[in-house]
Amino acid sequence: MTAVWYYVFTLVFFLFDYFILAMGLNIQYGETGILNFAYFAFVAVGAYVTGAVSLPNSVGTGQHYIFGWGIPFPFNLLMGGIATSLLAVVLAFITLRRLRTDYLAMVLISSSLILYDICNNFVPLFNGADGLYNVPPPFASVLKLTTNSFIPFFAAVTGVIALIMWFVMSRITRSPLGRTFRAIRDDDTVAAALGKNVFRGQLKSMIIGSFYAGIGGGLIIQFSGSLNPTAWLPGETFVVFAVIIVGGVGNNVGLLVGSLLVETLLVHLTAFLPAIPGHPGLIEYIDAMLIGVFLMVMLWFRPQGVWPERPRLSATMVRLLGKRGPSVDEARVEADVSDAALNDGSRG
Amino acid sequence: MSDVTPTDPTSEPTIATTSTTTSALRCEGLTKAFQGVHAVNGATFDVPQGQITALIGPNGAGKTTVVNILSGSMKCDSGTEYLGEDEVTNMESFEIARLGLMRTFQLSRELGGLTVLENLLVAPKLQPGESLFNVFFRPGTVRRAEQVNVERALEILGTYGLYAVRDDRARELSGGQKKLLEIARAVMASPRILLLDEPMAGVNPALIERIGGYILALKAQGVTVLMVEHNLNVVEKICDHVIVLAEGRTLATGRLSELRANKEVVRAYLGEVIDARPPS
Repeated sequence: MTAVWYYVFTLVFFLFDYFILAMGLNIQYGETGILNFAYFAFVAVGAYVTGAVSLPNSVGTGQHYIFGWGIPFPFNLLMGGIATSLLAVVLAFITLRRLRTDYLAMVLISSSLILYDICNNFVPLFNGADGLYNVPPPFASVLKLTTNSFIPFFAAVTGVIALIMWFVMSRITRSPLGRTFRAIRDDDTVAAALGKNVFRGQLKSMIIGSFYAGIGGGLIIQFSGSLNPTAWLPGETFVVFAVIIVGGVGNNVGLLVGSLLVETLLVHLTAFLPAIPGHPGLIEYIDAMLIGVFLMVMLWFRPQGVWPERPRLSATMVRLLGKRGPSVDEARVEADVSDAALNDGSRG
Repeated sequence: MSDVTPTDPTSEPTIATTSTTTSALRCEGLTKAFQGVHAVNGATFDVPQGQITALIGPNGAGKTTVVNILSGSMKCDSGTEYLGEDEVTNMESFEIARLGLMRTFQLSRELGGLTVLENLLVAPKLQPGESLFNVFFRPGTVRRAEQVNVERALEILGTYGLYAVRDDRARELSGGQKKLLEIARAVMASPRILLLDEPMAGVNPALIERIGGYILALKAQGVTVLMVEHNLNVVEKICDHVIVLAEGRTLATGRLSELRANKEVVRAYLGEVIDARPPS
């Protein structure tokens, strides 16, 4: 295989990985309305924990990190997801109980900065500013994979994981629990007045979404073998936001489209631009600018995203539940609603 | 009065406890101040079981604040609230709702992104499908509960004349339809007590007639209703009992015909002499 193919498979990996990340942020923001600006810090924690539990004992590796248990795939990945969910519980108890939208967003973004500083400076945790490296690629020794053949293999593994996680997420978003999440998103006062424990709902959503963040992060560190703090600057969160806004907030399939457009095409396409002499790193800034411009264009012309949320229609519900609706005299009812008198009532 | 224990036989009974009919909802000495403004200042009243009670009073009398406190959307500074026999003072909104008290909002607050049908489906309390465990490991239970709820929701939508718009997003409804949706959603939650905050506000006469009919039908089903209402014709027609609130206090209670003879009530609310001074 040529180098181009490896590059293509790298793109495929990121397509699926960002699909997973977008699903996690979507349940928090798109479904429950939690503006989680700390999202990428969760991704990083998932990556670090996955890496640190799969690396051997740190003595003699030249790195400093906790755990070092040599845990194999996929258990290391699960541990990364669970650790991230636990972090979500802690942060939810600190922030969600009292704060609402904008203040919550501010506290979350500062929490992510604190986490960033801790990881960046507290070397015994995850090797400080150097980050973790030499994370063993899963199955590489068993399947005798070379550095190159590992790329398509792991892209496929990620695809399968993304498919499973998509299935699980669709089950959640279509369930009454998902409906309650959306009720909290639309108006938490109403949700509470209807007997919904808003904090518990938000907590559940945070836990589920953070698990997805952790898995997505764990996959990244296993794919690339390393992760250091420059890879998860707080701005990375906005790439995931861009994915779900472009794809369509509240729609799981749309997220795959968003991931393709933003993460695969926009972010990685700029890698094809020739380096501009005398301006190292300029490409990355162009990248960030492109995402910003693209986001603005989308919000201006198609704020609902490429593939927006589609509510479930009553006919679908009735069909899926295997029962016919009640015998309501539709003609009478339609006449009722189109009653001119009713529509006059709109002036409040 | 707050230092008198209710069990003390020598104490004078308060107005609230003299009522012979059982009360579904009772509050004593509720107060709530917003930065020094006493919006509610000792409101005390009973809402009799199975009847329709109107809460009337001039603008700024604290009616909506009282509704907010009773439904748990707001915490009171002092006072007590009982739901039947249980004290529920300053309980969380969702806990009070689970005990069977449902409220609507003065300005309709629909769950805009959800369809009309979904708005109703959110309402039933403690659905099995709201547990993550059940969603994955007891799909049968979840499904059966959904069947029952969908069927019931469609029926209620039929009753309230919203069946044709069942698949529309709630934010796309007209003002009148939103008012109906508010009530339909509360009914879907099978309330024991319904708090309606101006269900007829901004609604044309034909629809007022209809909403009045719905409220009477709810009473016939045994639901206790407390409604904030300015339209005295409506109050006259459908309400059994009236509470007059002025400056955050209970001014009087009784039937509307009796209250019309009450000079204080007439001065504070019913009209004739209108005191336009701002409250000092």
